[in-house]
Amino acid sequence: MFKHKKVLISLCISAYLAISAFQISNIQRTFFKPEIPSNFPPPVYELKANPLTEEGIELGRTLFYDPILSSDGSTSCGSCHQQFAAFAHQDHPMSHGVDNQFGRRNALPLFNLLFSKTFFWDGGVHSLDFSPLNALENEVELNEQLDNVLKKLNDSEEYRDKFKKAFGVSEITSKVFLQSLTQFMATLVSANSRYDKFIRNEGGLLTAEEKEGLELFEQKCSSCHATGLFTDGSFRNNGVPNNYRFDKGREEITLNASDRGKYKVPSLRNIEFTAPYMHDGSISSLEKVLDHYTSGVEQSATLDPLLKQNNQPGLAITDPEKKKIIAFLMTLSDREFITDKRFSEPELFLNTPKPNEKNHSHTNNR
Amino acid sequence: MNSFKIALLGLLWMTLLFSCDSAAETISPGDKNNMIIEFDQYVGNEKLVLNSKTYKNTAGEDFTISTLNFFVSNIALKKSDGTEVTFPDQYFLVRQADAASLKLTLKDVPAADYTSVRYTIGVDSLKSVSDLSQRKGVLDPASYGNDNMYWSWNSGYIFFKIEGSSPLSSDPAKVFMYHVGGYGGYTGKTPNNLRTITADFGGNTATVRKDISPTVHIITDAGQVFSAGLRISTTSMIHSPAAAKPVADGYVNMFKVDHVHNDKHDHKE
Repeated sequence: MFKHKKVLISLCISAYLAISAFQISNIQRTFFKPEIPSNFPPPVYELKANPLTEEGIELGRTLFYDPILSSDGSTSCGSCHQQFAAFAHQDHPMSHGVDNQFGRRNALPLFNLLFSKTFFWDGGVHSLDFSPLNALENEVELNEQLDNVLKKLNDSEEYRDKFKKAFGVSEITSKVFLQSLTQFMATLVSANSRYDKFIRNEGGLLTAEEKEGLELFEQKCSSCHATGLFTDGSFRNNGVPNNYRFDKGREEITLNASDRGKYKVPSLRNIEFTAPYMHDGSISSLEKVLDHYTSGVEQSATLDPLLKQNNQPGLAITDPEKKKIIAFLMTLSDREFITDKRFSEPELFLNTPKPNEKNHSHTNNR
Repeated sequence: MNSFKIALLGLLWMTLLFSCDSAAETISPGDKNNMIIEFDQYVGNEKLVLNSKTYKNTAGEDFTISTLNFFVSNIALKKSDGTEVTFPDQYFLVRQADAASLKLTLKDVPAADYTSVRYTIGVDSLKSVSDLSQRKGVLDPASYGNDNMYWSWNSGYIFFKIEGSSPLSSDPAKVFMYHVGGYGGYTGKTPNNLRTITADFGGNTATVRKDISPTVHIITDAGQVFSAGLRISTTSMIHSPAAAKPVADGYVNMFKVDHVHNDKHDHKE
C-alpha cells in the first residue's frame, strides 16, 4: 500500500512537471521558417540556436524601430536603415546618429543577412547576433550601453511582457535582446525582384536590353558581385580615392597593411534604392559608379587585381554597355521587399515625433 | 619507570600519532575542496591604490592608475606528481575597483598537493567567437557598465585594460589607456595577444584536502606593463590588437606566487 502511494505521488509529480513543461513550451509561440530562395547559397546563420517565432520577430521589429535603444531617445535602427531604401540611409553619404553627429561610412542596406559571414564594411563583426552592438555603442550612432538598454527595457512592463511571450523569460538579458533583433533581421530576405522571377522561371521577363546587360554584367562584374546574393562577401580595394587618414578599411580589423582600403563587396540587389554608393557614399548615381570603374579607379598597392587590365587601373566598358548594365541592375529592385508591411515601422511609433528625423520625409515609405 | 611516566609517554605517543595522522591526512577518492587564487596587486613594491598614488615606471615616468582589469581563464593546476587538473569553461574578470573580484574561487578541486598554476590572460578564441548562449556572467557584454571589456566594432573581449594619467602623456587630458585584445582572428588572421602565465608555488605546495581549502597569493606588479619597452611619453593610447603587443609582452612578467595558505577551512556548505 505504502509503495503504491509512493508510485502515485511520483506519478502525480511527473504529470504535473509534464504539464508545466508543456505550458512553458506552449506559451503560444508560432514557429516561423524563413524561406530560403532557390537561387541563394545556403544560410550561414545557425537558426537552430535561435529558432524564429512570430512573437520573437514582431518583438525584434518593435525594438528595431524604437528610439529607446539610443542614449537620448532620438534615434532607432530604423532611423538610418529605412525600408524604402532597402534599409540603407537614402541620400546620406554618411548617416547621423544622436546629437546629429555623422559617422564616417555609408550605412549598408540590411537584407539577406542570414547568408552573410561578416558584417559591416570592414567585416569586424562575424555574427549577426553581435552586429547591433556596434551601432548601439558607437558614439555617433546610438551612443548607448547594452546594460543601460537592458535596464530601460526591463523597466518597461510592456517589453517584459513581450519578451515573456517571445522567449518565456521573466528578465530581459543580452541574449534574448540580441536574439530578438536577429529574428527580425533574419526575416529581411529580398529575393523577389524581376530578375529573380526570371532566373527562377516564375514568369519574370527581361527586355532584350536587360538581357544584354546581364551578359555584360556576368563578364565584367560578377567575379566580385557573385552568386544569387550579388556579392562574394570578400574584401577588396575598388580604387575609390582614399588617403587612409581617417579610414583604413579592413586593415583596421586584420591590422594587415595588405588589407588597406579594402571593404566588403556590397550586394547589388536593390541598388536602385540605396544611393549614394561606395563605403564613403561618395558617388551619387549608378552612371557615376560605372564611370568610376572605367576612369576613376585609383592605383594603389592594394588595388584589386581584377580592376587592373593591361597594367592600367579600371575596366573597359563602353558607354552603350554601361547603359545596358544599368538597365540590368534595375531588374534587381525588389519592390515587394521595400513595401512589405511585415518589415515596416509598427503603428505605435508612427505618431511619435523623432527629433532626428524631423527634416526627413518618409512619404515614399507608405 | 613508574606507571605515571609510562602513561605520560603513551599519551605523548598518541598525540604524535594523531597529529602525524592529520598532517599527512590520507586522501579518500572523491575528496575535494575549494582553492582560492588571490591577486595582491602592487606596482613595484607599493600596494596598488587607484587614482591617488603616483608610481614610476622603469623609464622614470610618473603615472597614476585609475583602472586595472584583466580576464583570467583556462586555469590549470599542476600536482606534485606532474599531472594537471584543468578548469575549462571558467572565466574570471579581475577588477581592481571590485575587491571581491580579486579572489578567484576554484570549486571542487580534487584533493592533492599542487605545485603550480597556469592560466590565460584573456578569453580564448573559441569562447571569443561562441554564440550568445555562452555569453554568461563576466562574458556577457552587458555586464561591464561604464567599464567596458568588449569591442563591439571588432568583435572580441578586451583581455586587459590599464588606464591612468601621467604628466608625460601626449594626450591633451594627460591620460593613458592601454586596451589589449586580439585572439588571432576569425575570418582572417589577426594578432594574437592571448598570453599564458605559469606561476610556480616556489617549493610550497597547496594541499587540498577534504578539510583544507588553500589560498594561493599571487603578487601582481602592474609596473611590468612597461617591461617590454612601452613608454607613456610615446604611446598614450592603445585600442587595437596590433598596437597592444608590447603591453601583453610586458604584463606576462607581472604575476608571481608569493605564498600559499593551507588553511583548515571547509569552504563547502
